[in-house]
Amino acid sequence: MPKIFIDGKEIEFKQGQTIIEAAKDAGIDIPHFCWHPSLSVSGNCRICLVEVEKMPKLVIACSTIAAEGMVVYTQSQKTLAARNAVMEFLLINHPLDCPICDEAGECKLQDYAYEHSIGESRFVEEKVKKEKRVPLGPRVMFDGERCISCSRCIRFCDEIAKDPELTFVQRGDRVTITTYPGEVMDNPYSMNVVDICPVGALTNTDFRFKARVWEMSATKSICNGCARGCNIDIWVRNNEILRLTPRHNESVNSYWMCDHGRLNTFKFVNDSSRIDSPHIRKEGQLVKVGWDEAFAEASSRLKSFSKDEIAVIGSAFATCEDNYLVARFAKSVLGTGHLDFIHHNDPSFEDDILRRSDRTPNSLGAKLVGVRPSKNGLDFNSIIKAISERRIKALYLVEDDTIQNDPEIENILAKLDLLVVHSTNYNKTTDIADIVFPASTYAEKNGTFVNFDGMIQRIKPAVSTLEADRALEGMAMSRLDKFGTRWDRWAQGVKFDARPTWRIISGLSSVMGYKFKYNMAEEVFKDIASGITSFNHLDYDIIGEQGFKIKASVLEKEILE
Amino acid sequence: MEKILLPDIKNLHLIDVYVSNGGYNAAKKAFTQTPDDIIDQVKKSGLRGRGGAAFLCGLKWSFMPKTTDKPKYLCINGDESEPGSFKDRQIFEFNPHQMIEGAIITCYAIGAKTAYVYIRGEYHKWIKLLQKAIDDAYANGFVGEKMKETFGTNFFCDIFIHKGAGAYICGEESSLMNSLEGKRGYPRVKPPFPAQNGLWGCPTTINNVETIANVPKIIEKGWEWFSNIGHPKHPGTLLFGVSGHVNKPGVYELPTGTLLTDIIYKYAGGVPNNKKVLCVIPGGTSMPPIRGDKLEGVRMDAESLKEVGSAIGTGGVIVMDEDTDLVKVLARIAHFYHHESCGQCTPCREGTGWLEKILKRIIAGKGSVSDLDLLITVANQIEGNTICALGEAAAWPVKFMVERFRDYFEQRVSKEISLPVANKVHSMRQTAVPLADVKN
Ligand SMILES: Cc1cc2nc3c(=O)[nH]c(=O)nc-3n(C[C@H](O)[C@H](O)[C@H](O)COP(=O)(O)O)c2cc1C
Ligand code: SF4
Ligand code: SF4
Ligand code: SF4
Repeated sequence: MPKIFIDGKEIEFKQGQTIIEAAKDAGIDIPHFCWHPSLSVSGNCRICLVEVEKMPKLVIACSTIAAEGMVVYTQSQKTLAARNAVMEFLLINHPLDCPICDEAGECKLQDYAYEHSIGESRFVEEKVKKEKRVPLGPRVMFDGERCISCSRCIRFCDEIAKDPELTFVQRGDRVTITTYPGEVMDNPYSMNVVDICPVGALTNTDFRFKARVWEMSATKSICNGCARGCNIDIWVRNNEILRLTPRHNESVNSYWMCDHGRLNTFKFVNDSSRIDSPHIRKEGQLVKVGWDEAFAEASSRLKSFSKDEIAVIGSAFATCEDNYLVARFAKSVLGTGHLDFIHHNDPSFEDDILRRSDRTPNSLGAKLVGVRPSKNGLDFNSIIKAISERRIKALYLVEDDTIQNDPEIENILAKLDLLVVHSTNYNKTTDIADIVFPASTYAEKNGTFVNFDGMIQRIKPAVSTLEADRALEGMAMSRLDKFGTRWDRWAQGVKFDARPTWRIISGLSSVMGYKFKYNMAEEVFKDIASGITSFNHLDYDIIGEQGFKIKASVLEKEILE
Repeated sequence: MEKILLPDIKNLHLIDVYVSNGGYNAAKKAFTQTPDDIIDQVKKSGLRGRGGAAFLCGLKWSFMPKTTDKPKYLCINGDESEPGSFKDRQIFEFNPHQMIEGAIITCYAIGAKTAYVYIRGEYHKWIKLLQKAIDDAYANGFVGEKMKETFGTNFFCDIFIHKGAGAYICGEESSLMNSLEGKRGYPRVKPPFPAQNGLWGCPTTINNVETIANVPKIIEKGWEWFSNIGHPKHPGTLLFGVSGHVNKPGVYELPTGTLLTDIIYKYAGGVPNNKKVLCVIPGGTSMPPIRGDKLEGVRMDAESLKEVGSAIGTGGVIVMDEDTDLVKVLARIAHFYHHESCGQCTPCREGTGWLEKILKRIIAGKGSVSDLDLLITVANQIEGNTICALGEAAAWPVKFMVERFRDYFEQRVSKEISLPVANKVHSMRQTAVPLADVKN
């Protein structure tokens, strides 16, 4: 491979790479604002100017193609002087309103000011005034004064969202961003511009002013909005999710996520409709009970049916670990083969960017770990039919609001003698359930999802339930989690009495006389890995933060079985 | 002295007059030769661009790829926005056919089928005049499909005028191409250069109007003839636009290497009231100014001006007498570049405004000596760090005016005044090299 030298260090590069790309691959970060690995090069911010031997002027590392033997200096006096010049220029008209800026703490301008700037401004003139608080669209707010005109947002709309909505107008230091006449920025990916904006010029209307960045912990997880399984960070303060942001994974979602996923897939976690502790219906009303009482009730009532009268429905919203135990519970504890899960398909949601018509995060995983009818067992539609014909009298339903999904089913489920439900929130299905177990949400547990493409990915708890302690569970901690006292309001927060489905199943099974010896989701996964070909030889560490892709050939074989 | 571009022939702008004076014969001659021969002759003639940078014209043409499956383009730059520059319009008005003839020869040489003449929108009158000349050239079969018959060749090309919308930056070649494509007039990052990636991503050559207008004469009279006019390293004549404090402002066609003092005193009639010259900008406001007491012996060509620390630019000579307020002049120049900066890249976008604000403050009597150093460092921080040469255009006048007239400027800011405390952005950080040691 050809080589260049950066600050005396020999570095290999791939033909056609720019200096900044070659440096990045070698772990050297050349400062940049406008350059973004997934967008076209615009070369406008000039902070990546570097000195290159035999070149008459400094060159920008983002657009200069690396050539064999090139000698680059990122720390020479000339380079530092240019970098400092750019920093000084960027700051002269900047409002410096970091104390009230959402971006503070994750702002490139702020970070670079610390790292690369001389620290004193010689600017004593009046700053340029621009418009603040301009809605570019329903979900993104623009502050003209904070904008450093890097054009990342424009290029994102043009190149990634493929919906040109933004443009520069005016000239010189009056340049600002606006939408084209008659346009609003409302493409389904619009909020990604908030993440890539290097400063606080673009803010998320759902999140702005809710928290300082350092007050929150960030937990690496997976979006549950569709079968793409975009990699995300879950941002939590005071045990409450305040925002989701995309996390880079080139083979799944690159740097992006859709606005739907960002806005509509986490609010149920801290919603007042969350179910706190198990409930049993007594005299028509759901009544709060302890776990032991709920297990005993479920056990004795389930035992009153013959095996063939019981059906179990797993969930494409639940993890592989959850579904694996659901399947084993159905087959080994209840002894029924009437086992399936519900598909949620919405072709109108699909596009050719990220969004998939399968609106669940784990339908492939549910299937792979065995949530499907046994040889003579009934699938979902047949189960419903059998309920309406009173052949099935008891239904064990995990994490799926069947009735919301299909209102006609309400009358059919009403015919059941027993409806046991795992659910995170109250919903139309819990309204008619006899026994309700409070399930932990995806943000409160460990586990794995398999996306549409066979990518196995991990989720981790970001919010603690009664059974889970942040510190003991090794959960991501914000500064305030670590150092806040119990008198600090942010160190508290509501904790629900909920458990992951796999743990509920395990508890119920043991009351029914069948012991699953799992203490952690990871142990469930171990069994999955040894029993199911697609997961063979895997563990949580191998899956890691970037996922593990099941070979297409293996996957195909396993699904056909 | 022989004039190449604006000869004293009455009504030369009319096609009949142009033809009866041997017009379009150069094109005829060119079509009997190969494109490479033409490029070779232009190379040997030593013709350098008249748009500002004095780049070797034939060399630029030779960058055009010989084999490509893309169409090639010629852009003729008639944006003429440099303050002090008003020469291209003379060609449009008095000798448009020579530029048209130059355009078809150039198209043939570089293999372009289309030439665009980009003219600043404010030039309504000259756009009309040139359009008339182009229409006549079409009607007489010198441009377009009919060329084939007229010249007995199978080459033909078209010429279109594109009106600018009033931005100085659209005279910068890559910005001009974006503007032609209907995009915002933002200069492009180079490389790639226009010969590789120009208009609509196709190979493109961009030349100034005056450059192109020289081509027919080089072909007609031979490269040796041309190379013997004026300064050997920058041969030919230049259209000097002389303005400011002279008795006879106007456009003068003179050989390169003419003495600056001759231009001022012999041709432009000297300074009104015999005042002394304080300052001369030799090539349009972007070029470094020369002190009035240093004019002796200065010759007007790219090489000679380089030696005295300036540049030929567009040959727009601006003369300022001893009563001129240089601070106001510089503030006005700084205002122009602040107003015209496209705003794409950081140093120019932010720096041009800063320069103007400092100068305005000095005019308001609130300047101190340290502001003079500040002006120079801000200019230095722009220079060389930008996407296009507007950065230098904005930095040079400030830097060199303040440096070369330091005494003058110091008088204007003599009193040390107290200013608000500079913003401490944050505390000092460690870097590999202490920034205090960094010199520009
Ligand atoms: C800010 C800026 C403005 C310019 N304006 C003009 C112009 O108005 N006319 C022009 O011919 N060249 C202008 N130029 C120079 C062009 O970029 C280009 O170099 C020139 O047209 C090439 O022609 P030439 O090689 O024949 O000189 C400008 C350059 C800059 C940086
Ligand atoms: S709004 Fe942000 S992303 Fe867009 S140009 Fe300004 S600084 Fe860049
Ligand atoms: S595309 Fe799907 S997985 Fe990605 S953010 Fe949107 S809903 Fe979530
Ligand atoms: S130097 Fe000035 S005019 Fe040129 S691209 Fe940068 S901002 Fe625009």
